[in-house]
Amino acid sequence: MDAKGAPLPTPPSPNPSSGSASGAIDAPKPMLAFHFLRALSRVHAGPARRRTRTISRAAYSSMARAAGPRRAWSRALLRQAQARRSTTLASRRAAVLVRRRVAAGPAPPLALPRLTGRSSGSSGETSAARAPLLPPPPPAPRQAGEPARSDALRRLVPGGAGMEYCSLLEETADYVRCLRAQVQLMQGLADLFSCQ
Amino acid sequence: MSSRRSSRGAISEEEINELISKLQSLLPNARRRGSGQASTTKLLKETCSYIKSLHREVDDLSDRLSDLMSTMDHNSAGAEIIRSILRS
Repeated sequence: MDAKGAPLPTPPSPNPSSGSASGAIDAPKPMLAFHFLRALSRVHAGPARRRTRTISRAAYSSMARAAGPRRAWSRALLRQAQARRSTTLASRRAAVLVRRRVAAGPAPPLALPRLTGRSSGSSGETSAARAPLLPPPPPAPRQAGEPARSDALRRLVPGGAGMEYCSLLEETADYVRCLRAQVQLMQGLADLFSCQ
Repeated sequence: MSSRRSSRGAISEEEINELISKLQSLLPNARRRGSGQASTTKLLKETCSYIKSLHREVDDLSDRLSDLMSTMDHNSAGAEIIRSILRS
């Protein structure tokens, strides 16, 4: 089974700078599959409750892991996953502070549906892994020519809040590509599992 | 992308337009409206809704996968293949 296999720990050579612009370097699909399948097997071995959310989170973090730290959105996702992994109360408080400091845009539907005006911190520590991100008040458009719509985009793309408009566009493109690949992977898996 | 904002204060219009058209090509309905000069706002809006729909798909698929996982036959051929992949 070489398709996903051969050098598992080391990533199979991604297609570097194939295609047009510099932003076209994507997470190669085998890496995506590897990370996600590994996460899935862990989910399967784990408790049966709240699997949907766990799987959804696993999807985003394996996406981020496959993309690596060279992208701002993947870094933001990895930071969020890291913060979530610290389960003790004290470190969760610290994690919330880290998230605030990082000022990453509110997560994709990982944490919560975006609750406007909810203050994090004390209220968030009770619910298990649902420490809410404090949605920062949307900053004014950074550049002169930047349309107001970009605020919504910043909220959707992880790590988007602190970016320049130009980087935001690049990150969005990369994020969309990886998201699409992830969705395709999950669809394939779901079909595979349902056909057994 | 070569020249970023490092050397100059403002990012050139062409770079932005290039990035925007790259985004446009990613969207599922590659509706090249008009002269390809689709309004940026509209494009961003479409991008936002596309990303949101992708998020929704991830959630739906996670749901489906979690259901399948509970009913999955552990000893089926597919599971064995996957296990061997992860083991190798």
